[in-house]
Amino acid sequence: MSRIALALTINGQRHDVLTEAHRTLLDVLRADLGLTGTKENCLEGECGVCTVLLDGMAVDSCLLLAAQCQGREIVTIEGVSSRGGDDVLARAFIDCGAVQCGYCIPGMIISATAFLDEHPSPSEAEVREALAGNLCRCTGYQKIVDAVLAAGRTSGTETRGDAR
Amino acid sequence: MSFDFHEPASIAEAVALAARFGTEARFLAGGTDLLVQIRRKRVAPRHVVSLHRVPGLDTIDANGEIRLGALVTHRALERAPAFQGALRALVEGARVVGGHQIRNVGTVGGNIVNASPAADVVPVLLVLDAAVTCVGPNGAREMKLDEFLLGPGETALRPDELLTSIRFPAPALRSATGFLKAGRRRAMEISVVCVAVWLSLDGDDRCAGVRISLGAVGPRALRSCDRPVESSPRTVSRSRTSAHRQPTGGFSWKHSFRARSGQR
Ligand SMILES: Cc1cc2nc3c(=O)[nH]c(=O)nc-3n(C[C@H](O)[C@H](O)[C@H](O)COP(=O)(O)OP(=O)(O)OC[C@H]3O[C@@H](n4cnc5c(N)ncnc54)[C@H](O)[C@@H]3O)c2cc1C
Ligand code: FES
Ligand code: FES
Repeated sequence: MSRIALALTINGQRHDVLTEAHRTLLDVLRADLGLTGTKENCLEGECGVCTVLLDGMAVDSCLLLAAQCQGREIVTIEGVSSRGGDDVLARAFIDCGAVQCGYCIPGMIISATAFLDEHPSPSEAEVREALAGNLCRCTGYQKIVDAVLAAGRTSGTETRGDAR
Repeated sequence: MSFDFHEPASIAEAVALAARFGTEARFLAGGTDLLVQIRRKRVAPRHVVSLHRVPGLDTIDANGEIRLGALVTHRALERAPAFQGALRALVEGARVVGGHQIRNVGTVGGNIVNASPAADVVPVLLVLDAAVTCVGPNGAREMKLDEFLLGPGETALRPDELLTSIRFPAPALRSATGFLKAGRRRAMEISVVCVAVWLSLDGDDRCAGVRISLGAVGPRALRSCDRPVESSPRTVSRSRTSAHRQPTGGFSWKHSFRARSGQR
């Protein structure tokens, strides 16, 4: 099978990759580029540990061919904190004690980042709905939900502060 | 899994590739069904024809008659201002498909062509009396979605045909739609049953028409047949009990479906 040359923009940096057509973005991120912050588990879109941002939207990188990502903006967990203000989310996860084994957390943070971009001050029900595609086998979710709500409040305050 | 990847830049090019490779080729829209099926070895295409560079397939046109390009995502349906009123069932159907990650890439065309009996947007399109346009090497043809869907994973689409758009009439002045899904949990769950309803009233508050579709309870989504409905004025706005007592025209499943399942 032929290989394809791809130019991928990941966390603001261009990466030239030569790969087979059937390989997913997740394969390329982890195996070729060593970006192992994005996790791998079900490979069927069920668990969300492989979530990345594609043009600002949360997507499962296990269900996306790398070839589909040519010319699009990809942000992984390694790049999310370099987007101004998103450390707020990581800090909130720590402060709320939302991390146990940690395997689901990169995907949770990516989903929450995309969600808070669109819904700066969400309700608890909205947060739960937004994280439906991310499974956690440890925490029981409550502290994760609390962390996203807290991050929403904090960045809301900061934005309002900036505006003044 | 291993295949060649093609990125046609027009409908004609996409169809030519499909015609050339026949059953060895699969179109790729959001990939949320196709990649899972490839991984489970249910299908093993030698050629994957991505639709992302084909222009014009991802637009929603709602000036008068509604036209959805096949690549319109569930995300776009959920957020379309045109569907917040009488066509709300489209929003309600689209927003229970998987989680955000799935809705951000999964498309309405993929939902239809994949032909899962539990596809959530399909019952909504059935009650809206939608028609689909398919383009093949010999041009376009249009058929009712109700005739397009044959059974689990089975449609009237030929291997060299591309589903390009879905259209249905603009909602009548006094009409409404609704969609409900029941699964074993509240989100990220395949429908145990889902139901879509379209209802319209005439100027005297009589029920002028009703269509009901049920998903996940048969080999494909079922739709009540169109029959005139007998109803007295204000049946709908009166109390629930009196509405229940009101006889309707009754409905049986579309004969085409009955005839087909009878053959098996
Ligand atoms: C975790 C998960 C949860 C899900 N939850 C739900 C759910 O709750 N409800 C639901 O209804 N579905 C659900 N799905 C299924 C799927 O996401 C939807 O059916 C989606 O709409 C499929 O669209 P797609 O663009 O991803 O299709 P693809 O996977 O790209 O394509 C599906 C099939 O259709 C063909 N195809 C696609 N577009 C065209 C076209 N324009 N012309 C001709 N052929 C075409 C492809 O060749 C393929 O055979 C879920 C899937 C996953 C992985
Ligand atoms: S590994 Fe991608 S969703 Fe589970
Ligand atoms: S913290 Fe272990 S899976 Fe979520």
